[in-house]
Amino acid sequence: MNQAVAVEPELVAVPPANSPLLEIRDLRIEFGGQNESLVAVSRLSFDVAAGESYGLVGESGCGKSTTAMAIMGHLGSNGAVAHGSIRFQGRELVGASTKVLRSIRGRGIAMVYQDPMSALNPVKTIGAQLAEVPLLHLGVSRDEAYDMAAAMLKDVRLPDPGEMLKRYPHQLSGGQQQRVVIAMALLGRPSLLLLDEPTTGLDVTVEAAVIDLIAELRRRYATSLLFISHNLGLIAECCDRVGIMYSGELVEEAAPEALFRRPRHPYTQGLIDCIPDIGAGKHARMLAAIPGHIPLPSERPQGCVFAPRCAGFKAGACDQPGLPLESTDEAGHLVRCVRWKEVVRTQTRVPPEPHGDAAPASAIELAEVSKVYRVRHRKLLKANEGVSFDAGKAEIVALVGESGCGKSTLARIVTGLDRASSGEVRLAEQNIAQLSAHERPRSLLQSIQMIFQNPESTLNPSHSAAFSIRRSLKNFGICKGRTAINQRMRELLEMVRLSPALADRKPEQLSGGQKQRIAIARAFAANPSLIIADEPVSALDVSVQAAVVTLLLDIQRKRHTTMLFISHDLALVRHVADKIVVMYLGKVMEKGTVDEIFGGVTHPYTEALLSAVRSIDPDKRPRQRIRLEGEMPSPIEVPRGCRFASRCPRKVGPICDREPPPVRRLSETHEIHCHIEAEALGSRALVLLDAGSSAA
Amino acid sequence: MSALTGSPLKVSAAATRTVGRRKRKLLFRSRTAAIGFFLVSFWVLAALFAPVLPLASPTQQDALALADPTPSAKHVLGTDLLGRDVLSRLIYGARTVLTVAPLSVAVAMLVGITIGMLAGYYGGWIDLLISRISDILLAFPVVVLYVILIANIGPSILNIVIATTIASAPGIGRITRSLVLGLKQQEYIAAAKLRGENALYIMVVELLPNCRGMLIVDACLRIGYTIITIGILGFLGLGLPPPNPDWGGMVKESTTVLNVWPLMSLFPAFAIVSLVLGFNLLADGLRELRKP
Repeated sequence: MNQAVAVEPELVAVPPANSPLLEIRDLRIEFGGQNESLVAVSRLSFDVAAGESYGLVGESGCGKSTTAMAIMGHLGSNGAVAHGSIRFQGRELVGASTKVLRSIRGRGIAMVYQDPMSALNPVKTIGAQLAEVPLLHLGVSRDEAYDMAAAMLKDVRLPDPGEMLKRYPHQLSGGQQQRVVIAMALLGRPSLLLLDEPTTGLDVTVEAAVIDLIAELRRRYATSLLFISHNLGLIAECCDRVGIMYSGELVEEAAPEALFRRPRHPYTQGLIDCIPDIGAGKHARMLAAIPGHIPLPSERPQGCVFAPRCAGFKAGACDQPGLPLESTDEAGHLVRCVRWKEVVRTQTRVPPEPHGDAAPASAIELAEVSKVYRVRHRKLLKANEGVSFDAGKAEIVALVGESGCGKSTLARIVTGLDRASSGEVRLAEQNIAQLSAHERPRSLLQSIQMIFQNPESTLNPSHSAAFSIRRSLKNFGICKGRTAINQRMRELLEMVRLSPALADRKPEQLSGGQKQRIAIARAFAANPSLIIADEPVSALDVSVQAAVVTLLLDIQRKRHTTMLFISHDLALVRHVADKIVVMYLGKVMEKGTVDEIFGGVTHPYTEALLSAVRSIDPDKRPRQRIRLEGEMPSPIEVPRGCRFASRCPRKVGPICDREPPPVRRLSETHEIHCHIEAEALGSRALVLLDAGSSAA
Repeated sequence: MSALTGSPLKVSAAATRTVGRRKRKLLFRSRTAAIGFFLVSFWVLAALFAPVLPLASPTQQDALALADPTPSAKHVLGTDLLGRDVLSRLIYGARTVLTVAPLSVAVAMLVGITIGMLAGYYGGWIDLLISRISDILLAFPVVVLYVILIANIGPSILNIVIATTIASAPGIGRITRSLVLGLKQQEYIAAAKLRGENALYIMVVELLPNCRGMLIVDACLRIGYTIITIGILGFLGLGLPPPNPDWGGMVKESTTVLNVWPLMSLFPAFAIVSLVLGFNLLADGLRELRKP
């Protein structure tokens, strides 16, 4: 393997001093299909300077990951760079020989992929996989390689590196795996690190830690970053320059500050308005969705690709081919819009209809609900323990917490997909906690419906899109006869703003957003009094997310449906919910109204969650970041005292490990389970800068 | 590649209106499937039109040919030891094989899918019971199982079907069970439960159609195996009673004169090979086509 490292003269050609590290010019990437070829990236030019962090943002299908693959030379057998150039340190990568690419990969450019589990080899130890990098690229001895691997593991803040080297990938948590992948990428001392959605699968507090780590390592190793993400908040905080991609081309480029304060392109503006910001609640503004959808590569319009969805479209100007990326009045701010001077930012701050503030009658009440699973070796897995809360009629209660906190188990118990081990779920004076779905009478099933998380599995691929809506209408006797059912089904599709023509399509012919709308229509088809929405929009793109959430809230308000809204996204929850229940490791940590939770006096865990939120608005960033150490304990061996004690940054003392925390009642609705005194909880500075002002 | 997943899906969506025609076209785009399809349809057509083809009777003895059973103008593939036309017996033999094998597999599929569905959907002790019984049956050497069964209940189409069912159903059950275990976690199954569908409905309407692809491929392979099994049974003298033409039986009869007229055993052997190969290639091709 030493040949690959033995540096050939032309490979060390030092680039001219001021030329960028990575230079992409007029890149066009095509994928060859059976009949037609598909243009994934139509024209793309940007630079990454040495030591710079460049963010590439866009929704799925915009070509951002394809670009990363092209840089790495991994387009696969059917993809090819049709036109343009990718230059790295002055060397052309398009059409370069395998040998040249090999010498660059790892040492010159390294990549961190979205899914760490598929980037690590499950049958090799972490040590063997890490040591391979310096062995191959730096030509060091085996012992040296292992020493370097151990040192790097320490740098990425993994505990006990010596022990970690001997482990296998499956013995690590998702966050730890991603750290190992980052360590692996950095071991080759690359000058450019490509990060393709590096934190997408991770929990918010873990994400926060990984992002900190990347920033710190970047400073230490002077590595340039190309950061690809759909998360605008993340990009805004970590990058020096941001490029917004839409449908295969760059539509705007600027420094994050300028971009998010003064977005020039209508798409960027729309995207920013789609994002729920942590600083504003449900009654402040509605999320604005961008009308229409991203054009398919085969149906991109001539001229501006965003034209069909743009309110400011002007014939004769926007439909001219070859619109350039123009500079604006700000230095380094480029925009591909001929009308950027005229485009006025129309932020729709529609205040939603006022909500009756009188405390509504309770619609569902959970009291001391526990769920225990028996697992191997006669151990017990406590998924939920003593969960109590209630939801009033037409109220939206959000269940918040990271993965493994038991929020989905709770949803399964309420719907009857699972039975509670103990406790009560009271709906209309009846305890339904121990009734599973097939034991429940029709009327009870009808009154509780669910919207699921994954649009890919929510509809049966063998049946038409409207199949389950029709069945639901028939089973619950809402309509009698074929014509009546079809009529009602069409009304429901119109209610979720879908064309009735989609009814007979197969799910594979629908987009994620359309499938999720069908799922909403199906849930409401039964005329339920309670809807459980389990992360209904977490798998969707931001612009689609905004549209689906707005729709869901709209229907919910019109029908006065009670809703349990399960989510990990606090900013979204602030826009959606009336009350919030924060859970950690199967137990409720805190519950209260939205204003109370975001009002400043919170549980240390809520505080950590709030501080991990990334905002695109530079004025609304959390004042301080609270970093949680360690991992969530296993639900099989739960801590005896407070569940959060092992990671709590505000631990009082040994009492936290010993005794379950008392309930601190701050108001009629606000409860915090913590050993810290109520007064002390509130004495800290607010994590959110404007938390006080918006609550007022 | 995640960036691309959205678009090709929709591209295919626009073109799926002519799904049926495209699939047929696709069948011929995969060379494996096309060759398999050709081999199988050759035998199916031959068996179907056997009575109208210009063939000698498969059971009538030609005394004149007894002296020289080698191929001649009258008997294209020669005659067997009793002076019966080999070509005719091969084609009429295809009729037997192509009735018995698909019928056996169909019954085995019915039983196998049912037990697999029950085991996968309900789990618990039902699964345990079905899986253990299947394990025991699967641990038996298949040929021994056939010999014991057929030798005891006598050779007939029904008995071959029963024997095949006992031998194949556990395997089919296992495949179905593993498919169902994956599918029942899907959210659309939960949605079906929440709209009050009963277990039978969920199994037949929600789960079964999604197992279809894999099970069709498996059925194709099993028809091939069953043809071999029927050949083995014929060879062991446990096939259909004479004078029914039977490929395995024909190979057996010819073994006594293997040194003198080796061709006589090669023709039926070749028939078995070509039909089994046809089914296997068809199964492989279908598996390729199942992939997006």
